[in-house]
Amino acid sequence: MKISRLVAGVTALLLASSGAALAAPTTADPAVSSRAAYATIEGTGSTWSQIIVDQWIADVDSNGIKVVYTGGGSTKGRKDFSQASVDFAISEIPYQGTDETGQADTSNGRAYSYLPIVAGGTAFTYQLKVGNELVRNLRLSGETIAKIFTGQITNWNDAQITQDNNGRAFPSKTIIPVVRSDGSGTTAQFTSWLDKAYPAVWRPYFGRSGLTSYYPRKNGSNFIGQSGSDQVMNTISGFAGDGTIGYVEYSYPVNKNYPVVKVLNKSGYYVEPTQYATAVALTRAKINQDKSDPTKYLTQILDDVYSNPDPRAYPISSYSYMIIPTGASDSRMTTAKRQSIADFLYYSLCSGQSKAGPYGYSPLPLNLVQAGFNQIALLKKADADVDLTDRDVTTCNNPTFDGKNLNKNVLAEVAPNPPACDKTGAGPCGESTGQNNQTPSPGGETDTPGTDTPTSGAPSDPGSPTTGPGSTDPGFATDGEGNGGDGGAVDVPGGGAPVFDPETGEVVAGSGSTDSTSGGDAIFANPTLVSDRPLDSRTFGWVAVIELLALVLLPGIVVASLRRRRREGAST
Amino acid sequence: MRRSLASLGALTVTALGLALPMEAGSASVVGAVVAPSGDAFSATRTVERSFVEADGTTTTVSRHEITVTADHTQNLRGRERVLISWSGAQPSGGRASNPFGENGLQQEYPVVVMQCRGTDDAGVPESEQLRPETCWTASVAQRSQTLRSSSESTWVHDVHNSEADKQRVSGMDPIPADECPSADIAPYFTHLTEFVAANGTVYPGCDSDSMPPEAAVGAAFPAAEIAAFTDSSGRGEVQFEVRSDVENESLGCNDTVACSIVVIPIAGISCDAPAASPSLADRSCRKQGRFQPGSSNFANDGIDVAVGPALWWSESNWRNRFTIPVTFGLPPDTCDVLDPRAPTGFYGSELLAQAALQWSPAYCLNKARFKFQLNQLSDVAGFNLMLSGEGPAAVVSSKHENTGGDPVGYAPTAVTGFSIGYVIDRPDNAGEYTDLRLNARLLAKLLTQSYLGSDLGRGHPGMGGNPLSIVTDPEFVTLNPGLTSTNQEAAATILSLSNASDVIEQLTEYIVNDDDAMAFVNGEPDPSGMVVNPAYEGLGLPLQEIPLLDTFVPETQNTCRQANPSVYFSQLAAPVTTMRKIAESLLDAWPNVQTRCDFDLSTQQFKTGRIERQSFGSRFMLGIVSLGDVERYGLRSAALETKPGTFVAPSDKGLAKAVALTEQEEKRGPFVLDQAAVSKAGSAYPGTMVVYTAAKVRGLDEENAEKVAQFIRVSTSEGQRAGSGNGQLPGGYLPIRSTGPTSKLYDSARAIAHAVEAQAPARTPEPPTPVDPPTDPVDEPTDAPSSTTPPPGGNVADLVIPDLDPPGTSDPATAPEPGAVPVANDAPVVDTVPTAATQAETSGIAGRLFPMLLLVGFLGLMLSTGSRFFVRPPRVPS
Repeated sequence: MKISRLVAGVTALLLASSGAALAAPTTADPAVSSRAAYATIEGTGSTWSQIIVDQWIADVDSNGIKVVYTGGGSTKGRKDFSQASVDFAISEIPYQGTDETGQADTSNGRAYSYLPIVAGGTAFTYQLKVGNELVRNLRLSGETIAKIFTGQITNWNDAQITQDNNGRAFPSKTIIPVVRSDGSGTTAQFTSWLDKAYPAVWRPYFGRSGLTSYYPRKNGSNFIGQSGSDQVMNTISGFAGDGTIGYVEYSYPVNKNYPVVKVLNKSGYYVEPTQYATAVALTRAKINQDKSDPTKYLTQILDDVYSNPDPRAYPISSYSYMIIPTGASDSRMTTAKRQSIADFLYYSLCSGQSKAGPYGYSPLPLNLVQAGFNQIALLKKADADVDLTDRDVTTCNNPTFDGKNLNKNVLAEVAPNPPACDKTGAGPCGESTGQNNQTPSPGGETDTPGTDTPTSGAPSDPGSPTTGPGSTDPGFATDGEGNGGDGGAVDVPGGGAPVFDPETGEVVAGSGSTDSTSGGDAIFANPTLVSDRPLDSRTFGWVAVIELLALVLLPGIVVASLRRRRREGAST
Repeated sequence: MRRSLASLGALTVTALGLALPMEAGSASVVGAVVAPSGDAFSATRTVERSFVEADGTTTTVSRHEITVTADHTQNLRGRERVLISWSGAQPSGGRASNPFGENGLQQEYPVVVMQCRGTDDAGVPESEQLRPETCWTASVAQRSQTLRSSSESTWVHDVHNSEADKQRVSGMDPIPADECPSADIAPYFTHLTEFVAANGTVYPGCDSDSMPPEAAVGAAFPAAEIAAFTDSSGRGEVQFEVRSDVENESLGCNDTVACSIVVIPIAGISCDAPAASPSLADRSCRKQGRFQPGSSNFANDGIDVAVGPALWWSESNWRNRFTIPVTFGLPPDTCDVLDPRAPTGFYGSELLAQAALQWSPAYCLNKARFKFQLNQLSDVAGFNLMLSGEGPAAVVSSKHENTGGDPVGYAPTAVTGFSIGYVIDRPDNAGEYTDLRLNARLLAKLLTQSYLGSDLGRGHPGMGGNPLSIVTDPEFVTLNPGLTSTNQEAAATILSLSNASDVIEQLTEYIVNDDDAMAFVNGEPDPSGMVVNPAYEGLGLPLQEIPLLDTFVPETQNTCRQANPSVYFSQLAAPVTTMRKIAESLLDAWPNVQTRCDFDLSTQQFKTGRIERQSFGSRFMLGIVSLGDVERYGLRSAALETKPGTFVAPSDKGLAKAVALTEQEEKRGPFVLDQAAVSKAGSAYPGTMVVYTAAKVRGLDEENAEKVAQFIRVSTSEGQRAGSGNGQLPGGYLPIRSTGPTSKLYDSARAIAHAVEAQAPARTPEPPTPVDPPTDPVDEPTDAPSSTTPPPGGNVADLVIPDLDPPGTSDPATAPEPGAVPVANDAPVVDTVPTAATQAETSGIAGRLFPMLLLVGFLGLMLSTGSRFFVRPPRVPS
């Protein structure tokens, strides 16, 4: 049925074009038959959203929709769109009018509109080793992050970082911020947050107010600039990356199984940017609804997201936008291309959102999907032959929708509360970040902060055991060397600065048996072994062997000698 | 539509019935494309260039008898590549760094290959005949000459051109004043070759704004037309990519609109009689080239236009064309975007990507099936999503640790693998190198970043004497003689994956199996004295992921590098997240080396970034790619050494041989390929990998269980028919059949499909093993011998011993880390089969340590208790 309707649409188009052929002097050849309802569309832009966009492109291939997307950064995307060398662009920020270097950042007269396509959290991924172990549960407040990325906090043992981690001090080690060197929407999102939330820190560093797509690096600073999100990840996760911290979309560390910072939110909880935390935060996003100004219409106003008082919210959450051409006489557009854009978006906004979570993004809520459909309608306005029949929210397979109540954001409602150990002055929690394993609270259960279980209740939920023992890092070199279990033992010799548990006064690393699974006592640096140099691990392997031997034999020896002493004492 | 549905349905019935007779269509799927007979094209013609002298006589300047062949021409798909080769042509000169589109214009005597709508058949209506106006070019400069001075207007003196085309303004008539206001300015010469689109729209082609939309400057979609290079023996070849109307709507080729590939060997313009005193234009028409045959023109210097490709439309050139008629296949039926069924995604390996692209329409178009999607993630991430229930099944290619309580079956779904893809040019523009040979030690050198890259790497402690790149490594030169010895950074590395992957695991297993390679990794110099990068010495292979271990930041006077102190060797390696990105880098010959460092004027900052694309004629790049991508994009694969002196490239035969060597080590488990057996057998391809659909055989809900079972059955029957249609198996995959070496895979898949569907409830419990596996291996041995109070975990202590007893079931190497989440919260029974996740590489001293310590501890306990009774000296009553 629908196919035949499509065919009818194509036929109509052909008739129309042959009609035009009569009118225009420069056309000839009427009625060249064409079967294809779709034509390849191409785009460039954001690497922030590229991971999921690439997957959507693979998905719609089976619908006959061919999409070419090559990333390159939001700045490049907006520029390519303005030069009409692409059919669409993806960007985290709208056209700025004039960019930070005084160059024009406009669509160059090309008619367009914005359309939110996916939400996500800008995550801070880092490599911080204590001894030979990767810290996986670092917590930072927004202010600390702002100071790190403006060069005010330069050492991991800074008192403010210690305070964020509830008194757990990290060894003295220089902080090396890694930023994007290319024009980047991720940078724009990050600096937009800095500018809104911490103007007193950001503006003196930047020299003025506002956001920027090119992160400013001071001469002589130790900031590292890298091109593209992949390279930021490579720099941080490399062996030389100890001490680095950088910002990328959450999906990058998730795909690499690398830790991210839990960021302090307004209500005093340190939160990881999971799909739930992002969805909750974005319930406070304001979308510019002023249709009179199409250059701003539907763009995001995130001020209330940054200060969302919900304890589950991740503050630096945002949307990524597609920029689509809406002009009736757009030089690159044809009916087939408009149809491709419309149906690619229909898939992306609906079924495509169902995989946002596993990939480290967050699905769009209904109001934005609805707004997106309103923008898609502009394609039909530009070209009456575009078929939008039945493409609307009622047929949309979007996981955030509740079929009965379209105003509910299902995801935000099932989002779990943060564990109490993530609260300021408590914890820190022992579980690892960057594994995207947070599970929803089952059926509206209100999980009051205070149940200090990293696995967040719900033992019956099949979602929780995703991070089974060892499964999370099978790629790391030393797993095969038998060091998996003795992480606690190697901590002290490598660490230089043993860490004391403030409650018990014991060396934390020595108390390796109280891991996070036993609930209460979170440890400070989760002993996840990283891919360290094999020589090191061999050495430590032997240390471990000796320590284990000691562990086994010492009690017996002590008992034996005690007994002998007692016997001697008794016999005298 | 309905008929195709019906036939699909019929197919399904056949497929789901008894085992499908598979003997039909055993076409080769890996390696060379075999053209069905009658599908190829070959033609020969004589091409002459001649000058009319002032006295009216004609001098023949050159004559070539040229033969052009095409390997296949029928039922093409969009972006399919057709191999065009020729012999007998004038050798080319002034090779461009990139011959595609307008970048190829500054070459002399090239062979222009382009796609045109229409055919050269006088019998068809004029509207269906091809002409320069229906030939596609991606830029204005390729089709139009605007505002040329008289000395540049060579075409005006083309003796074969009509009088009209010899005028100052020619071609499109009239020139539309509104679109091309500045195309006609006397006394300059202009010739517009307008483009007529399939729908009749005419694009004048006088500037970039008056070109079809697909021809935008800087478009992400690259130009396909090429000015190709002929070597000094008169031969040349290109893989020409055809475009259907899906890719290029304006050109509009499809199953009903006939098109052709046009090959124009540029022999030079034949000139008419010169003026009494030859004008500049007369002289420039008679030029015969300023570049030597085989030379390069990377600087894009000017050429003699009379022998360049820009005037392909001028009659002297156009009349020499070879027209290769091609037909496009019916586009496959596609899924309806309005299909209300929610898609079901299986998460996992990219190795299946190309097959999944062809398979998924066969699901959505069939109402009896579920709507299948492959969501590409790393194998381990996909596996964990399957365990957690987010995905009904995972797509993996090796065994993964089952941290859940439910047993998992691995159903073989496809046989494919990885290869070392490459693009390498032979020196002196002698064409591409096509038989690269590599061995395990060379791969080990590349993966351990032991080549220096450039002078920047020389300062690296401990390996300053190593070659700068692989091309100056004697071991490589011996295997691949005759290549350039000019080092470049891209030749010091192999583009690899940054995330964990089963592909890397198998590649490193291949290295582990080679004694020489492992000796090198472990610090022993190779025969030429090259040593491993000390940061990687003793690297514990195999690994799922090659870590970036180097820390060397070069000391340099370069201000940009001083402002961006970076780990040089990590910038060289710069791994990426997917194999598709690697394939695209190879296609573009654009290494991902991130060592470029320059000053960005717009931001007033020094910044680093990716180096430039490589120039044609000096390309050298290696990357790890999937066999599916190799076939889809026409990449080249290196032959890998198996036995000493035996090199095996991926082929059906090599894959089948490797499959025959695999062994299923446990019921419903994966088939393990032992690299030692591969090197013993000699002819098996070491990169062969079986892709599995891994799903729970217990604990999966009925709806999903049926979907998984259906997928396994369909993909191992209907999905194994080679072909490019919906539901068929694309190139790069070896069909799994019910007979022959793959029969064991077929049988196993069938059995697991049954088991997944049945979802057997918990079997009669074997020794009822406790719920909580020990979470801390350090704790246990201290507990057992000293038998102190049980740890807070509760009932663990007295149950520890039976759990640890069978060696291997609780290997300390794979024991849970402190900090991990407890598994199997609700499972009453720990199934011993899947939890025995012991892989060969995880054993070692530590592997035996735990049981041994237990034994020691136990002995100690026995001794100490025993001593109480036996050794204690008899009490002497005082």
